[in-house]
Parts: sequence; C-alpha cells; structure tokens
Amino acid sequence: MSDEIKSCSPTPDAEPTATRSTVPMWIFSLTLVLIFLGAVYFDHHGGWFDAKVYGPYSSAEELDSYQPKSGAAALLAQGRKTYETVCGICHGTDGLGKPGQFPPLAGSEWVNEKDFKRLAQIPLDGLNGTVHVKGQEWNASMAAMGAALSDADLAAVLTYIRSSWGNNVSAVTADDLKAVRAGVAGKPAINGEQQLKTIPE
Amino acid sequence: MKNGFGVFIAAFIALGASWCGFVLAPAVQLSTAKQTTVLNSSDLYPIQRTGDATLGLQVYRANGCAACHTEQIQQDGVVCDVILTGAGKNPSAVSNLISTLKLTGLTKEQADGDSDKITAAGGKVEIHIVATGADIARGWGVRRSVAADYLYDSPVQLGGIRVGPDLADVGTRLSNANWQLLHLYAPRSVVKNSAMPPFHFLFESKKIGDVPSPDALQLPKVFAPPAGYEVVPTDDAKNLAAYLLSLRQDVPLYEAPFTPLQVSTNAPAK
Amino acid sequence: MNEISQQKIDASCRVPLLALFGGAALWLIVGLVLAIVASLTFHMPEKFANCPLLTYGRVQPAANDAILYGFAIPAALGVMLWIFARLSQGELVLPIVPIVAANIWHLGVLVGLVAILIGDSIGSQWLEFPRGSSVLLFAAFLLIAISAVATFGARRERELYPSHWFLLAALFWFPWIYSTANLFLASSHPVRGVAQAVIGWWFANNLIFVWLALVGIGTAFYFLPKLAGKSLHSHYLALFAFWTLILFGTWCGIPQGAPVPAWLPGLSSVASALTIIPLIAIAVIFVKTVCGANTDCKGGPFCYIKFGTVTFLLSSLMLISLGCPHFSKIVEFTWFVPAQTQLQIFGFFAIVICGAIYELLPRVMGFGLPFPKFVRVQHWLFMLGIILLVVSLAVGGIEQGLKNYSLESSLPFLRVSTTGLLFLLLGSFLFAANIFAMTFKWKLALIKSVIAAVKAPMETSEVKS
Repeated sequence: MSDEIKSCSPTPDAEPTATRSTVPMWIFSLTLVLIFLGAVYFDHHGGWFDAKVYGPYSSAEELDSYQPKSGAAALLAQGRKTYETVCGICHGTDGLGKPGQFPPLAGSEWVNEKDFKRLAQIPLDGLNGTVHVKGQEWNASMAAMGAALSDADLAAVLTYIRSSWGNNVSAVTADDLKAVRAGVAGKPAINGEQQLKTIPE
Repeated sequence: MKNGFGVFIAAFIALGASWCGFVLAPAVQLSTAKQTTVLNSSDLYPIQRTGDATLGLQVYRANGCAACHTEQIQQDGVVCDVILTGAGKNPSAVSNLISTLKLTGLTKEQADGDSDKITAAGGKVEIHIVATGADIARGWGVRRSVAADYLYDSPVQLGGIRVGPDLADVGTRLSNANWQLLHLYAPRSVVKNSAMPPFHFLFESKKIGDVPSPDALQLPKVFAPPAGYEVVPTDDAKNLAAYLLSLRQDVPLYEAPFTPLQVSTNAPAK
Repeated sequence: MNEISQQKIDASCRVPLLALFGGAALWLIVGLVLAIVASLTFHMPEKFANCPLLTYGRVQPAANDAILYGFAIPAALGVMLWIFARLSQGELVLPIVPIVAANIWHLGVLVGLVAILIGDSIGSQWLEFPRGSSVLLFAAFLLIAISAVATFGARRERELYPSHWFLLAALFWFPWIYSTANLFLASSHPVRGVAQAVIGWWFANNLIFVWLALVGIGTAFYFLPKLAGKSLHSHYLALFAFWTLILFGTWCGIPQGAPVPAWLPGLSSVASALTIIPLIAIAVIFVKTVCGANTDCKGGPFCYIKFGTVTFLLSSLMLISLGCPHFSKIVEFTWFVPAQTQLQIFGFFAIVICGAIYELLPRVMGFGLPFPKFVRVQHWLFMLGIILLVVSLAVGGIEQGLKNYSLESSLPFLRVSTTGLLFLLLGSFLFAANIFAMTFKWKLALIKSVIAAVKAPMETSEVKS
C-alpha cells in the first residue's frame, strides 16, 4: 500500500501533535489595545444602541438638533398637500377654479380679507346660492369640505390659500380655527352672498 | 479546553453572544416598530403596498432581481443651507451681511449662528436640511434608507451588489408604468448599453386580434415582434411594474430628516 | 500505533466518505457550470431572454448554493469524520448513519436548486432553499454530527488536539445558525422588516466566514504538521486563535451603509478590526509550523493546504477591509464583495478540502489515486482560476466603485473572471475524475470479490468491504 500512495508524508503516518510553546505577550497587548480603540470607535459612531440614530448622525442629541423646526414652511407644505387632495380638485392647484363651475381663490376678495373668520366658515359649513367673486357671478354649491379636517389641517389649508398665487395675507393657527369651529359647529350651509356678508369679519 | 463539553460551552458563549446581538436585539428593536409619521406631518409612514405591488414583490424575489439591484440608499453626511425668505425693513443691511457669510453646506451650529445674525439684521430666514452622499448626488434618492422604509416588506430585498442602479426610490424617479414595462421587455430600448437581460418570459407575444390590445407595448422597430404580432405584459409583469412604482423613499422622517424641496406625498404614484 | 488498526480505521470511513465526496464532486461541477451560465448573461444578455430558468437572478444564487451546500459542506463533513476517526484512533462509529445522511443531504440540495430555478427561492442570499430542502439538509447534518460526536466520544487519547476544538465547534455552529436563519426568515411568520436583512447578514457571515474558517483551519492544523513532519506550533497559540476567531469573527458581516441603526454596523466594524488578532495568530502558527519543513512536494496535497491557508489570510483581510467605513464606501456594492466570498470559498476552502481529500482518500480506499498527475494539474488550474476570478472581480469592483457603479467599465474584468471560472471547472473535472475512478475501481473490486466468494464457497475469503 505504501508505494501506491502518492502523498508526501512519511509512513507510517503518525497523528499530529502540538508543541506547548507559550503565547507571545505582544498578541495579548495588541488585543487589548484593539478592544480599547474599538470601544472608542463605537462610542463615537455607534449611537449607543438607539433605534433612531443612523449614520451620519453620531448621537441622539445630534439627530435632534438637525430636525427642521416646525415653522411656516412646514405649515405651508402641509397645507398645500391637504389643499391639493381636498380643495384643488375643484378650485384647481393653481387656484383659478373652473369657469362656470368653481370660483377662483387667487385674488379672491373673500380670501384676502384681513381676518380669516368669514373665509373659515365656508369650508366648515358649506356655501350655496349666488356669490360674486372678482366681479363674476357664481352659482354653485359647495359642501362642508373642511368639516372633516382637523384644526391643524384646515388651518394649514387656509394659510396656504391665503399666501399662494399672489394672495398675501396672514396665516391661520390651529387654535384660532378651533375657536371659530366651536362657534359654527352644526350650522347649515351659508346661503348666498347676503348671508355670507352678515358674518362678522 | 479539556473535553468536548468545554468546546461546546466555548462555542455556545461565542455564538450565543452574537445571536443575542444580531438576531434577538434587531428582532426586538426593529421588528416590533410601529408605523411612524412623516416629519412635521400627521401622515403615517410607511403605508402598505397595494395588492399588485405586493404580488410584484414576489415576482421580484422569484426572479432574483436583488442579484443585480439594491434597494438601499446611503447617506454620507448632512448639511444645512440658510435660505433668505424675507428682506425685512432694511434690505441693504441684510444684503451686505449676506455677502459676508457662507450660507450653504454648513453644520447646524454654523447655520444657527448665521441665521441669528440675519434675523438680528431684520431679515427672515429658513434653515434647510440637505442630505448629502454619493447616492444622493447620483439622483438615486433624497435621503438614506432607514428601517421604517421596509416595515411591511416580506421578504426584504435589500440586495448586495449594484450591477444596475439602486431601486429604493425608483417610483419617484421613473414613475411611468409603461416605461417600466418597456424596460423589462427590452432594456436597451430605453437605456442605452443596458446590461440588464431582457425578460421576455414576463410577456406574451401574440397575434393581433381585431383591435390591438390596450396593454400592448409600443416598441421601437428593432425590438418589435414580427408584423402582425403584439407584445402584451402578463400579470407578473404588470405586478412587477406596480411594485417598482411603489418603491418610494422621498419623505423626511425623524431619523432621516431633510427639508423637502417640493411637497412629497406618500400616496402611490399614479 | 499499529498499522493494521489504522487500516481498519480508514476502511470504516470508506462508504460514508465516498457517499459524501462523490456527491460533492458532482455538485462542484454543476455549480461551476451554473456560474458560467450566469456570467454569460453579461456577455450575451439576449441569450436566455425567453427562459425563466436561466435568468441571471435565478442561476447565480443557484450556482452559489450548489457550490456551498452541494460541494463545500459535504466535503467538509467527510473530512471531519475521517479526522475524528483518526484522532480518536478508533473506527468511525455508526457508519451507516452518515451514508444515509449523505443521500438525504444530496437530495435536499437537488430539491433546493430546482426550487430556486423555478422561482421558489426564499429571497435571502445564501438561504434561498425553501423549507422542504432546508429541513432535509438540517436533518442530514444532525445525523452526521451524531456519528462524528460519537466517534469523538470514543477516543482513546482523552486530551484534545487543536483540530478537535475547531471541528467540534463547527458541528455545533451550523445547526444553530441554520435553524435560526430558517425560523426567522423562511418560516410562515418571518420576522418583520429590515431585521430580516440583519439576520441574513449574520447567517451569511457565520456560515461563509466563521464556519468555513473553523473547518478549513481545523483541517489545516491537522494536515500541516502531519505533512511537514513537525509538530503544530503551538497548542496554546492555537487555543488563542480558536477563542478569538469565534468571539470576534461571529460579529462581522453587517455592511457599513446598511439601512439599520448605527450600532449594528458600528459593532461589525469593531469586530472586523478585532478579527485581525486570530489572523495574526493563525499566520504565526502557519509560518512556524511549515517553515523549515523537510518535505517539499510540487503540486501535492501539502501545496494545496499551504496555498489555502495563505489565501484564508488574504480573504479575511479583504473581509476586514469591508468593515472599514472609508474603504467600504468605495467598494460596498461592487464586485469586490463577491470577490471576497469567492476567495474564501474557492481560494481557501475548496483548495484546503481538496488537498485534504487527496491526502486521505488513498488511505481510506486502500490504494493510490488512479490519476496521480491530475492532482498537480488541478492545483495549477485552481490556482490560475482563482487568481483570474478573484483579482479581476476585486480590481473591477474597486474601479466600479470609483467610477460610479458603471457596468461598462467592469465588463472586461467580468470576461477575465469568466475565464477564471472555466479554469476552475476544468480543475473540478479532474477532481471528479479521481473520485469517481476510485469509487468505480473499489466497486469493481467489491463485485469481483463477491463473485469469487459465490463461485468458491468452500474457500475462505476475507471479503474486503
């Protein structure tokens, strides 16, 4: 058998053995150094097991500091989004409405009033009958499209309408809107321009 | 170690430790997460994919699309830009001030400092948070991918190698279903020198009946079937296209904030 | 130690090892053919446009799994059984169990590969086999582990040799990672969300890096001193290497830019750096054991195992480099990553295990290799193939990363890598030739002796089985 085996080990093949030399000290020191450096690295980059901290942020505090504040821009963004899904279908994403059907909001005197209370009641209660907008007569009926929206959402929509397409009047806060809503909840739709004008500004 | 039991204990300790760290902890921390909300909004995120898109994910898995495409965007850094929104009562003072300041590519502290200076001079500013990175520069996304993006996916198809472009945000970038179907049938008809193999088996080539099918692909001559035949997508192809269109990661989240340049919605693309 | 007893030990392993190695050799060929078919997609994309079974996304994972589950693991198990038998100085216990298990295993691989090709892949890399297949593989592994542990338990020399630690740990490792991965990812209620990917990465790292390292280094620590005619340097350093490998190596594997909280890639990064330690230890052991060896074989098993150990160090260095965020940013989703896994599987593991098989098989069968020259030719073919495959993919990957992931720039590299695969395929034919020729020769001898026994019932004949 031995001359047929084309291997290089001497026969009979003994099982291997291992020497008992000691482990060199430098490898232990190196391990400890690397563990220390690793701990420092993890401290800087690991986010300390926080589920919300992702690179490039190195800590929860840093992530928090980079949150954009909920300012006017955010309100406008939210308002625009809600407007486009709720109001824009009829009044148009450009605020120009549809001739013969839906009145424009761009440049509308009802939108550009200093106080928003009259404007706010239109989506809260609905509007029927005849209304003049920018000199033109409109005779459609609008359901209470804003009744289902939250205060924050409707305030954002009104803010958006009041500062877009050339309109440039004050924003509406959710708290103000809450007060208006409390006053008009459950009322029937406003009927015509006359009734609209009776609402105090 | 003196005996087999010792070896077993050693292996148990080592593997048990990493099992706790990389199996148990992520399962607890990441899988039990609930829907979160889009930053500065009350919209929920993520929303479940529609039925077609969920079936499309299975087509994606079955055909091993993850062997060439990843679905994860990386972000290398974050910077702030200071944007002037109003000149205030003293425009010349503000504009003099601005010409001395660096207003883009700042850290948050620098941006806050500049913003305070401008506000003190009477101007109105906004600080925009911008995610930066090679993937973002390539237009593959606007922010990094995070765990919330994959909450409802099963199986998660992150991919590991980019033979083709990243698909995490492809629904924003290439939101036309027809383009996706054309690309699946004949990639070179819409992407020059594409290395993607054509997926003819996701389509049927059939004789044109009395009227051409509404679904039939409008192929350029080189890729078109013989005269009298039309190429119609199967359900698999349509579902896969729906899935690709549902791949969007364009809303800011708490863990990946950025200031959207235009309003994005998490509604499915049309 | 008496030679007759060694013959009996070797003979007791004969049928189980042939069952494992025969299938492994076949799957190696199948896997390499599938890999070549997959890579053809880059050179002629239109070719397989009409056939769903041959689309890249199915064939590439099938190729990977065929090589890993079809070739690497059965070959590993066979070598482990023999090493345990030899180190125990006793025959293999319950040899019928590995024979049955080998067949179950190969059936499982077949079912799994067919499932991938028809579109039933689970969808997680290295874990594509669906449940029917994975259950078969798990059961087969446990059966073989029972036989191996029983053989180990029956050892005469109670002190453990370093290879014992590595191989026993490997027997424990695979069932745990495989069952975890399948339960969390492939069951009817998989874990939700991106945790799937994390567990997938944990599994892949523990299988491709840690498990193959445990078996490969354990095998190398057995054969290197034997073939060099020296003692392994040293028992305690090997113990240190073992502990640091399993403690640190198991935590690598989470990619740096992954969509997971920062602590996961952070831990992986630290673990990758710490994995240098076992590499240094293994390198010292290797150099001190092999240098000054009085044997010098060209292209024989000793060369295989030496080459394999060195490439293990290289492939682990590549893995560690992936844990460095700055480097990973360039190469993360490029061909560099498969280059590293191919170096680990082919350059390290396949070579070490082939060398081990060439060394042990003549002893087990009781006669020499039918084609001894093939060993040297295969050595050169494998070396050339691996260099072409890995270097081209690695360089192509770095270039791909620097050039914005464009595929055009990496096409020439892919052509070179396909050539590398062809060389590997040729080498695998030679490997299979030797194994099948040996099996055939043995079966022929068996049939002849049975016929002789039947023909001459009066003569007492020792049936060598």
